[in-house]
This record gives sequence, C-alpha cells and structure tokens, in this order.
Amino acid sequence: MKPLEIADVGFTYEDGTVALKGLSMSIGKGEKVAVVGPNGAGKSTLLHLIAGFRMPFSGQVMIEGRPLDESSADDLRKHVGLLFQDPDDQIFMPTVEEDVAFGPRNLGLDDIEGRVARGMRSSGMETLAKRKTHRLSYGMKKRVAIAGILAMDPAILLLDEPTSGLDPRSRAELIGLLKEMDRTMLIATHDLEAAAEIVDKAVVLNVGMLMEGTMRELVLARDLMHEAGLELPPISKLFRVLETMGYPMDDLPVSLDEAVEQLTRVIDREGKHAHAHIHTHVHGGHEDDHKHSKAAAGERQPRDEK
Amino acid sequence: MTMAHFGGHGRTHLSEYAGDVWFGKLDARAKLVGIFVFVIVSAVLTDFVLVLVSLAVALTLVLASRLPVFYLARMYSAAVPFILFASVSVFLFGGWERGIEMWARTSACVLPLLVLAAGTETFDLFAGLRRLHVPAVITTLLMLTQRYILLLSEELSRMSIARKARGFRGARNLLDRYGVKVVAFTAGMVLVRSFDRADDIYEGLKCKGFGQEMTPWRRSRVALKDGLLALGLATVAGLLLTVQLGVIT
Ligand SMILES: Nc1ncnc2c1ncn2[C@@H]1O[C@H](COP(=O)(O)OP(=O)(O)O)[C@@H](O)[C@H]1O
Ligand SMILES: [Mg+2]
Repeated sequence: MKPLEIADVGFTYEDGTVALKGLSMSIGKGEKVAVVGPNGAGKSTLLHLIAGFRMPFSGQVMIEGRPLDESSADDLRKHVGLLFQDPDDQIFMPTVEEDVAFGPRNLGLDDIEGRVARGMRSSGMETLAKRKTHRLSYGMKKRVAIAGILAMDPAILLLDEPTSGLDPRSRAELIGLLKEMDRTMLIATHDLEAAAEIVDKAVVLNVGMLMEGTMRELVLARDLMHEAGLELPPISKLFRVLETMGYPMDDLPVSLDEAVEQLTRVIDREGKHAHAHIHTHVHGGHEDDHKHSKAAAGERQPRDEK
Repeated sequence: MTMAHFGGHGRTHLSEYAGDVWFGKLDARAKLVGIFVFVIVSAVLTDFVLVLVSLAVALTLVLASRLPVFYLARMYSAAVPFILFASVSVFLFGGWERGIEMWARTSACVLPLLVLAAGTETFDLFAGLRRLHVPAVITTLLMLTQRYILLLSEELSRMSIARKARGFRGARNLLDRYGVKVVAFTAGMVLVRSFDRADDIYEGLKCKGFGQEMTPWRRSRVALKDGLLALGLATVAGLLLTVQLGVIT
C-alpha cells in the first residue's frame, strides 16, 4: 500500500479554469518526489486537493490506501502534512513551542512533549522554543511551520514552494534539512536546483503530466523543459557550455554536489590532460587560431541541431 | 476591544508587551474577573466624585501595570472619537458637568480594558474566557475575528504602501472624484484579498486538526497574587458601589 496514489485526476475551478487534467502518479513509502512546473501549472491546486481542501474532482486520490472524498477528508488530513507557501497562514500560537504543540494537541495525540521536541530538533529549532513566533524571520517561520507539521507525524509531507522567498543562506539550510529528512514527501516547486538536491524523482506538470523521471532525465529533455517553461539549473547550464567547449561530459549534473562529484571523477580519469584542455580553451585566445576555430565550431554545432 | 493597527511598520500585536511586564504574567481568568467587575461598577456610577475616584483607580492600574504608557495612549487615542462623541452629545443635552462626567466614566471603563487587552497574551485572553465557561463557539469566533482583523489591517497597510509607491497621494476631499474612486476600489480589493487569506488561514487551522474547540492547555493556576489582583479590584468596585447606593455615607 502506497501512502499516495492518484489516478486520472482532473480539477476545474468554479470560474472554468482547468487546473488539472488526467493526472496519475503515486509515491512509495519514503520516496521524495518533486512536482515541477511554471506558475499556474496547477501545483498548489494538486497539493490542496491531496489535503482534501478542494472538492469535487474527477478521478481518484488514495491516501494510505483509503479513497479521499468529502466524508473522509477531515480524517485523512491527519495523514497529510501540508506546508503552505506563506508560513504566516499556518502559525497560530504566541510562542514557537506552543505553535509546534498546537496540532498534536488538537488531534489529541499522546506524548506531546516528545513530539514537540522531535519536531523542533528535525527542523533545527530546538534553541528557539520560547521565542515569539511573530518576531521571527521569514525563514525561521518556515521552519516553525515545518516543525509544527512534523510534530503531527504525517504519513506524507506536502511542501508548496518551500524555497520561495528565502535568502540564499536559509534556502541552503532548508534544502539540507529536507534532504536529510527521512520522510515521504511531495514538493511542488519551480526551483529545479533545489528539487535536484532533495528528490530522486520528478514529475513535470502543466495542467496534465508532461513527464515523469529522475531529475537528470528531466533536464536532458530540453524540448520538454522549454515547452513547460522551465529553466535549467545554472550549474547544468554551465556544464552545457563547458561541453560545447570540449569538456568530456559523461552526465549532465543537476546539482552542485553532482557537479563536484563528476568533476572529481573526470579530473581523476583524464588527469592533467583535462586540466590542460580547459586551460588552453580559456586562455587560448586569438593567438591560437586553430584551437579557437575548433572551439567556435564546437559551440555552433548543438545550436544548429536545434 | 479596540483592535486597530497600532504601530508603524509590519505586524504589531495587540499584546506586544504583555510578556515583558508582571501584569502579563498573571492568570487571565483573575484579570478578566477583576477588571470586568470593576468596569461594570464604574459604568453604573452616577456620583461625580465617585466617577473621578474610579478614574483615578483606572489610571493607577495603567501606571502599575508597567505597560508602556505611550502604547496605551495610542490605543486610547483610537477610542477617543467614540468617547468624544458620547461626551459631546451628553454635554449638548446635559451641560458641561455631565459631559465631563461622561468622559471620565467612559475613560474609567476603557482604560482598564485596554490594560487587560494589551497586558494579556491575546490567546491567553480567549483561553481564559473559555475556562470561565464562555461557550466555545464564542471564544473561537473571537479568536478568529481577532486574527481576521489583524489580517485586514495588514492587507490595508500593504495596499496603501503599494498605492503610495505608484504615486497616489490620497483623495484630498470628497469632491476629488478620481481619488475617491481609487480609495473605494482599493477598499474593495482589501476585502477580497483578506477574504482569500482568511480562507488560507482557515485551511491552515484545519491542517492542524482544529475542530471548533480551542484546547486551552497552559496549565496556569490562580495563585495568590492573581487572587489578590482580582480581589483588590473587586473590593474597590464594591466600595464604590456601596457608597453610590448610599449604604455608607
Ligand atoms: N481560486 C481560484 N479560482 C480560479 N482559478 C484559480 C484559483 N486558484 C488558482 N487558479 C488557477 O488555477 C491554475 C493553477 O493554479 P495553481 O495551482 O495556483 O498553480 P501553481 O501553484 O502551479 O502556480 C492557474 O491558472 C490559476 O490561475
Ligand atoms: Mg502555487
């Protein structure tokens, strides 16, 4: 039994906007999946639908093996932890500790102190227990919201644009946090780089599903990316450029970690050769006509293909 | 309760300073009972001297609470139009002495309520009401209303900043038709947007398993000092009332 199964789901807003159409996907226990797509692709709609806030829809959503419908929504929501895009919409209590305890107390769960402690530890908030929630920074508020959800111990975490609005430091910290976390999660985002760091599998959504695969398969599908209005992560773009300059690429890296790993491997393999190769291209300049034209030709080639 | 947007920037909570003063640490129930008894009695006093005494007690409470006076003054100023309106209409019909009496009486009622609101963590206040057996529907509604008003004022200040950023100077008078139109339009926008956000917040609450009942859990007990405050205020109120009723002359 999978925590989440979606079969042929469609959803249309009251005003006639078709937000989702014929979407099928599933998430296995412990799996982390990203739903990527441009603004208006229906990502938030999908998450709200899974959390049982939007009804009715066509098709079927199964949470922990039980079908989601109007009558089961309130009950099934206990298994689903939705992180809103704006943390202010889900923080209610005056202090961090109390806010984290709010959900478990409402649900009448046992061992509240233990839950609160664990929730705060896994979101790196343990030292801030007594702080006033409304005085925290935006990034900190996101963490409080996450801690509050974790304390309820949901079977699936749904994260709506978790990295949006964060400064680079908080963003990196949050990515690290989610990467380490051993949870079933569905992350809606247009931040491919963050997704690449966190998840194994991704779904490209634009009303319907355009593609499903690993993050690498996804960034390699250039036409599809273009069609979906998605930008490659900067690191992938950089390696594309390097490739046209003759860098022997075996795999397009999608995250910094992968890039470092690959560079280490390539340098190991090619030894000094690779180093010298890049060196001549970077500093070769106009003096070396032969190499220059070769590089230029190499640069043109992939463009002509397109 | 006055819930306007006090403070210049960002979200200012009504109970911003409650955590910093002794008054904020007292049990909400004791404060509620003590202050409500005092306020009710102050409201029915008719003897001018007694009204002034109750005003003096209210001012003492303001100072003794150690809440920032400027902050309370700002809250009070938000209530001034209403107090003035009441006092002026009484003055028009009953003469200046009645007018001043009305102003003193209203202030004696409003000030303790402001101290209560500013000096109690807003959530504690509602939880306290709930513990005093006010029905859950009412306390929950109060909590949501409070949240909604906060949200409205937030949206409002955002909108007005956005308007100013686009060079809008405000409607100079009611004949400035363009200005009035912009103001009316943004007012509508604020309502629509806060409605949307209220929806989000309600969903946020549902995500946290919130039903109807807000479960008060701060295990606060009415200790001696809480009891003393309630008792003190009730005693003062009792004395004022007995004098008013002519039992003691
Ligand atoms: N409450 C609503 N009423 C009508 N249309 C909506 C509403 N919310 C979103 N939409 C529309 O549904 C589509 C999907 O929106 P959304 O799920 O928010 O996309 P995403 O989160 O991927 O940016 C968009 O075209 C959006 O304009
Ligand atoms: Mg969205």
